[in-house]
Amino acid sequence: MSAASAAGQALTARLTPAQRRASALVKLSALALLLIVWHFVTVTEIVSPFFLPKPADVLRNFIRIVGSGQAWPDLKVTLFEFAIAGPIALVAGGLVGFLVSLTRYGARVFEPIISSVYAIPIIIFYPISVMALGIGPESKIAHGALFGFFPICLNTIQGFSRVDPLLIRLAHSTGASQRQLFWRIMLPAAAPTILSGVRLGLMLCFLAIIGGETIASIEGIGHRVVWYAEGMQTGNMFAYIVFVVLVAVIMNAALSLLEFRKGRS
Amino acid sequence: MTPLSFRSPPPWVSRALVILLLLVLWEILGRMGSQLFFSPLSMVATSGVTIFADREVLEALRTTAWILAIGFGLSVCIGLVLGLAVAMSRFTYQTFLPVLLLLYAIPQITVLPIFVLYFGSGPASKIAFGVSHGLFPIAVSVVAGVQGIKPLLVTSAISMGATRWQIFRRITLPYLAPSLFTGMRLASTATLLGVLLAELYVSSGGVGHFTRRFGESFQPDKLYALIAALSLMAILINETMRMLERRFSRWT
Amino acid sequence: MTNETGRGAMAETLIKVEDVSHVFPAPDGGGEVIALEGIDIEIGRGEMVSLIGPSGCGKSTLLNVIGGMIAPSQGAALIGGARVRGPRPKEVAYIFQESALLPWATILDNIKVSLEFQKAPRATRDQVAREALKAVGLDAFATSYPHQLSGGMKQRAALARALSLRTDVLLMDEPFAALDEQTRMIFSEDLSRLLANERKTILLVTHSLAEAVFLSDRIFVFTSRPGRIKAVLEVDEPHPRSPAFMTSPKFNDLRNRLYELLRDEVLAAIGKDRQGLA
Ligand SMILES: Nc1ncnc2c1ncn2[C@@H]1O[C@H](COP(=O)(O)OP(=O)(O)O)[C@@H](O)[C@H]1O
Ligand SMILES: [Mg+2]
Repeated sequence: MSAASAAGQALTARLTPAQRRASALVKLSALALLLIVWHFVTVTEIVSPFFLPKPADVLRNFIRIVGSGQAWPDLKVTLFEFAIAGPIALVAGGLVGFLVSLTRYGARVFEPIISSVYAIPIIIFYPISVMALGIGPESKIAHGALFGFFPICLNTIQGFSRVDPLLIRLAHSTGASQRQLFWRIMLPAAAPTILSGVRLGLMLCFLAIIGGETIASIEGIGHRVVWYAEGMQTGNMFAYIVFVVLVAVIMNAALSLLEFRKGRS
Repeated sequence: MTPLSFRSPPPWVSRALVILLLLVLWEILGRMGSQLFFSPLSMVATSGVTIFADREVLEALRTTAWILAIGFGLSVCIGLVLGLAVAMSRFTYQTFLPVLLLLYAIPQITVLPIFVLYFGSGPASKIAFGVSHGLFPIAVSVVAGVQGIKPLLVTSAISMGATRWQIFRRITLPYLAPSLFTGMRLASTATLLGVLLAELYVSSGGVGHFTRRFGESFQPDKLYALIAALSLMAILINETMRMLERRFSRWT
Repeated sequence: MTNETGRGAMAETLIKVEDVSHVFPAPDGGGEVIALEGIDIEIGRGEMVSLIGPSGCGKSTLLNVIGGMIAPSQGAALIGGARVRGPRPKEVAYIFQESALLPWATILDNIKVSLEFQKAPRATRDQVAREALKAVGLDAFATSYPHQLSGGMKQRAALARALSLRTDVLLMDEPFAALDEQTRMIFSEDLSRLLANERKTILLVTHSLAEAVFLSDRIFVFTSRPGRIKAVLEVDEPHPRSPAFMTSPKFNDLRNRLYELLRDEVLAAIGKDRQGLA
């Protein structure tokens, strides 16, 4: 019977303290089990080290790669590409989004076109970038900027087009100028949507750069994973993947922080 | 017909005009720019006719299509089961949703070499990589869908004697439909992205391989034709999904 | 506690609540919330009873104990002499503050799905559902979706659904709370008429003194949490009650007494001291 009343509760409702402890325990033991199984199958060589290195080896390699500064040159390349591509995506996406949103009509004409193009996996344009710009940083920059452009542009359009008409009427009725209307009403109201587009766009831009490096490159952190993979150095490859995932997670956290900060002001 | 009586045409007309303008621009720029990297529309269209008569390219398209179909089907099945399992109870939701989101946050592209290591360079790794992209949008949408169900609806059903199965069949499933289709739309694009990424990386077959080949051999007309065809396919899939989505969310 | 004699008490007892107490774990982990304490009531078949008291005093909890949705920490509820151990779809129907209609189904389908939940015979579901819609005057809206109806109509549909289940007991948890004043009045009058025709046993949770007096045979006044029964008021007036009753001295007198009883409890519940306000 208590189960019956619990079934009618929201999934987000708080767990009881006992359930919370059980939940943490389940998560921890799942993680522990994973590590133990991984350790066991690798130590006993049930799975060949070529396919799966020992967890301890991965950790050791990770520390070596990161600690010795060996990862730095590649990371610098990737970050450099991002430092160029990100702002391009930001400015282009924001500008196009803004221009299209100048009139409601413009938004209704262009928004469907842009969102349709966004449905295309942008990676298929990458061969064009490589063909035209070579396998150096230029092609990654172009690809990353293109990837990041869409969410930023689309969210800018959405942000502006969903400003509460009541707010705009209110501004007009108090005799606000166009400039005031934009800075005082439109931009603040649209900001949260635009910023979440910026966060998503910049993250996609970063990942697209890594993707480009994975597919065709001679440097960058995405390329280094492939380099280890092609060199059959599975142990290093796993450690490097951990490193790249960490970089991506940190990037994501950093970008979320920006959205959170700006979103509040 | 004085200028004063001019009114903006319906948006779709302007939209068509904009697209037409872009195509014309493509043609003009293509004729002006370097023929090494760029190709006018007319040439791309002609090449399109030749490459789609090419048996190898057709074969590649077919390969990619069925890899995509299998990958998408698996994504939907696994994602649905996973999502339902996570949203089964308050406990499973609060325990496993963070894990699901954590896994979703790992950029799949970084683990692509592991997929190739484990699944080989044949279709299996491409399917698996496609699934790794399609799975999460479905699972997360399913969870979001179940999460949106009003507890009162379930309480009310229980008071009327509904069994667990009836609650699932009559409340959870219908409530889920719109978000499931949203998830399927996102997943179709994501799966295609995953499959193409793997094909570009492994480059042993499929459309991805050909785009790479045309690019590396500087045949922009063919490359653009293939990309244009792929783009149309992606847009078509997306629009179909959008239609389904609307069809199943009329009540919202 | 005032003595119980009235039309309900004289009739055969249908619902019995024996020494029910209920304790919830406090939402923030430590401690407990005592929602109900030592509730003892008997309700006769066909009686209309209101529960009234400050927010959070445990009225919904009591309703859920009787409906079998909550197992009380102590004591038991009985319906027709049998102890309630879980939902009783054949005997008890609910109406909640919100209509709880499935948004993707028409009103008619909503009722049919409910009948399916209740395991009513398949063959009769359509007819039963249509009759219930007719009884509440919604037959023209059978194929409408909930979002096409006004708040009052949705609650009417919820009433139709509850009626279609053909239960002896109807539990109503603030069914009018989300409706506007006029709609509530009409709804109350309809309910009074229905009562006279159907002889259902009804427990109504309400915050409206006028509604309680207008509709009930007896009114249970609750103390602030932990919920106990502070007093029982009887309203000796046959159903269906006419709008004229609402302006009668008897009505006013009862309403005022109810107000006096409640005032202290509400003040206690919102944590204010009468003297402090004076
Ligand atoms: N599921 C629950 N878990 C914890 N506390 C609850 C729960 N349901 C109700 N309560 C608490 O029990 C008390 C009585 O609740 P309820 O019966 O809903 O009051 P009422 O219907 O009279 O407003 C309230 O203080 C409420 O916070
Ligand atoms: Mg209540």
